[in-house]
Amino acid sequence: MQVIKRDGRVVDFNKERIVKAITLAMAQTQGGVDIDLANKIAGEVEKQLEGKGQTSVYEIQDLVENKLMGSSRKEVAKSYITYRYNRDIARKSKTKEVFLDIIGAKANDITRENANMNADTPAGMMMKFASETTKPFVDDFLLSPDVRQAVKDGYIHIHDKDYYPTKSLTCLQHPLDRILENGFRAGHGSSRPAKRIETASIIGCISMETVQNEMHGGQAIPAFDFYLAPYVKKTFIEEIKKEEELLDKDLSNLYNYSPKEYIKKELKGLTGEERDVQAAINNTVNRVHQAMEAFIHNMNTIHSRGGNQVVFSSINYGTDISPEGRCIIREMLESTYEGVGNGETAIFPIQIWKKKRGVNYLPGDPNYDLYKFACKVTAKRFFPNFINLDATFNQNEKWNKDDPHRYYYECATMGCRTRVFENRHGEKTSVGRGNLSFTTLNLPGLAIESALEAQEKTGLKFELGRGSEEKMTDKYKKTVKKIFMDKLEEYANITAKQLYERYRFQCTAIAKQFPLLMAGMWAGSEKLGPNDSVEPVLKQGTLGIGFIGLAEALTALIGKNHAESDEAQKLGLEIVGKLKELVGEFSDKYDLNYSVLATPAEGLSGRFTKIDRKKYGTILGVTDREYYTNSNHVPVWIKCTAEQKAKIEAPYHDLTRGGHIFYIELDGDATRNPETIEAVVDLMDKYNMGYGSVNHTRSRCMNCGFENSDANLHKCPKCGSEEIDTIQRITGYLVGTTKRWNSAKLAELNDRVTHNTGIKGA
Amino acid sequence: MKMAGFYDESISNGLGWRAVLFCSGCPHHCPNCQNLEAQDFNYGQDFNEDEIMKKINDNSIIKGVTLSGGEPLCPQNIKDELHFVKRLKKEKPNFNVWCYTGYTYEELKARNDETTNELLDNIDVLVDGRFVEAKKDPDLMFRGSSNQRVLDVKECLKENKIVEVKF
Repeated sequence: MQVIKRDGRVVDFNKERIVKAITLAMAQTQGGVDIDLANKIAGEVEKQLEGKGQTSVYEIQDLVENKLMGSSRKEVAKSYITYRYNRDIARKSKTKEVFLDIIGAKANDITRENANMNADTPAGMMMKFASETTKPFVDDFLLSPDVRQAVKDGYIHIHDKDYYPTKSLTCLQHPLDRILENGFRAGHGSSRPAKRIETASIIGCISMETVQNEMHGGQAIPAFDFYLAPYVKKTFIEEIKKEEELLDKDLSNLYNYSPKEYIKKELKGLTGEERDVQAAINNTVNRVHQAMEAFIHNMNTIHSRGGNQVVFSSINYGTDISPEGRCIIREMLESTYEGVGNGETAIFPIQIWKKKRGVNYLPGDPNYDLYKFACKVTAKRFFPNFINLDATFNQNEKWNKDDPHRYYYECATMGCRTRVFENRHGEKTSVGRGNLSFTTLNLPGLAIESALEAQEKTGLKFELGRGSEEKMTDKYKKTVKKIFMDKLEEYANITAKQLYERYRFQCTAIAKQFPLLMAGMWAGSEKLGPNDSVEPVLKQGTLGIGFIGLAEALTALIGKNHAESDEAQKLGLEIVGKLKELVGEFSDKYDLNYSVLATPAEGLSGRFTKIDRKKYGTILGVTDREYYTNSNHVPVWIKCTAEQKAKIEAPYHDLTRGGHIFYIELDGDATRNPETIEAVVDLMDKYNMGYGSVNHTRSRCMNCGFENSDANLHKCPKCGSEEIDTIQRITGYLVGTTKRWNSAKLAELNDRVTHNTGIKGA
Repeated sequence: MKMAGFYDESISNGLGWRAVLFCSGCPHHCPNCQNLEAQDFNYGQDFNEDEIMKKINDNSIIKGVTLSGGEPLCPQNIKDELHFVKRLKKEKPNFNVWCYTGYTYEELKARNDETTNELLDNIDVLVDGRFVEAKKDPDLMFRGSSNQRVLDVKECLKENKIVEVKF
């Protein structure tokens, strides 16, 4: 008989090894070594395995454990288990397999955890090696025992666990004005304050690229238009000065001239000052356009974070109504519409339109024209998404239309959905703040466990999942809800504690570990010296308690999800409402900004499901797919109208202040139909949703540039080329090729319904 | 009338979000028809006007309805379509109606038929003409082959000539 070892090698079975292991375990106990018993057990194990051609070390160890448990020396079993656990830590034999996968550039879920990262490059591999070795280190040495157990059992998932030892924070909304006005030092160079649009835009890129290296999450600019507007004016003056030199004429009276709109016009027929001004405007617009193009190009090509990832960048804009701000918005939209390179859709930055009544939403609003344009751009390029500043929870009463710094009171979002706004330690703003870390609760896992306990308690026995509601009594329903809510509280408490422990660990960092982030970018950090602890400023950040699989959890609890029954929706709101209430308690208890996050679960979407299916088997409507549905979303396979989806998901937005998103799948090419995008924004407005966008497909022929919305386009209908690139959205980010999607997300993609199937339309 | 399918909302069968009603049965039999099964007058389920009107009334995102098929304007289907459209215009006066047909506008006018004329009076945009494989062009908006036209019916009737919708 042969034995497969942990590292995959195959060796001959050797009974003496079992005897040795048992005696070593015995030596650790009061009763001491009993060589006869050890020989007896080893013999029994050998007998039991007889006839098997091959077995594994794990199987042998399980047998030994069982035999010891059944023997008179139960304490040896305990010692053996401990011994085995410690040996496992020491070996970490899995590392080798994982490393081999990384080296072989194999497409499995470890290397496909993050669809935006190319783990096949040397820098990408280096990062995966580090990532896969730090995770077990965190488990063994940085987590407290109850947290470690909760992680191991699949109740909670700590996001960016690989970064835990680095003390890094998640993400930041960059107060770009600080470095634009004051300059900064990064790497081996320092930069002076920006004087023109080209440098301002590049400094924006550098800021995000540099800070991305100091954090583990995304980078965003909360008010792209407001920050860059002054440099449009500076560029205009620069153009006037060029004319002075060229024409040898004094135009200094025009330095203070304020163009009403930066729009290009023909110079023909214009004379005198009018001509001088328009020429300067034309050149300014051209330069702004190129600067925006350069910004987009830069964000899609410059790899940061060890050289294997472009920045997870986002920019928020839309509310600056000054001519200069409008110029920035218009040219950013123009460049996005045109696309990069040969007209390809840019993946980054994620653009977010800040929709606000009185500013840009209704006919007559000063930026209404740009809003219409934004919808047209979204129809073609997926971006901008839309944040609804009119949602009750996205408002700050200090916002005043005459305040030049009013953007400070406007809620901004990370493209992926992470939202930081409320603040118990200062002003309610997004600027200069971010998330510290977040951890996600496995709602379906808790629900299944609760249901099984409720069956035990009520004496009812039935198959869980879809269709089970007929077998439930009122008493059962009450019982299962009570058990679930208690468990939810228990694990939310563990999560809160875990987040706090990580926060305490993060607080042990000193400012210079985050050279740019803690040199004035993070709120309050301008007061820190390089060797000061970051503790005083970290409380500006948020601690996110996320959740996954509300739909599956509800099906496990009462047989239906929240899109299928009003009763389930009511319970769903109670569950997430309970989380919000608990988060309020944690905020008071720890005096920190806790928030509920509708988790964007990329690597996680299949992990919990795998664990639970292994534990509980396949449960209809719960563990029967490869993935759990993200947060509170209506499952992608449910057929319902956009408005029905909006009605169901909207109330969760108010409850999930750590971030949320609303998506609508489009059934075709919106490029021809931009008013359909406006209709989606109208739904957000009508139902008080915070953030949303549309999902559609863009397939592009790389040969002739033909584009359409057919997800299964394999051959170009115009030129016949088979070089087709298809772009889709995964947890908020666009992905250029589905080859980088992990298996659970691919399964989700295949289940996505555009609601119109069967007969074909135009 | 039988119904081959119904979209609650669609963005690719006319401007804006629209409900799309696909009737069954078509006399044209264009080669390479994309809905071959809907050429059969017995395909699909019975058209239930109340049910369809309810779906339309419950959905605030849609701003119009598109008639497609099958052939909505063939003699077997046109009466039910007219009844439906008249009710729609009564309950949803702001909705516009698009209609896909394999007949040309000229053929429909030449019918000199009261039902056809009354239906045309209630249609805003007519995408007319048979599908011709040789004239297929994936760049066209809202139609399959270049012989087909997207007509502004109100203007056609007013001006008594062909007026195409400009995009």
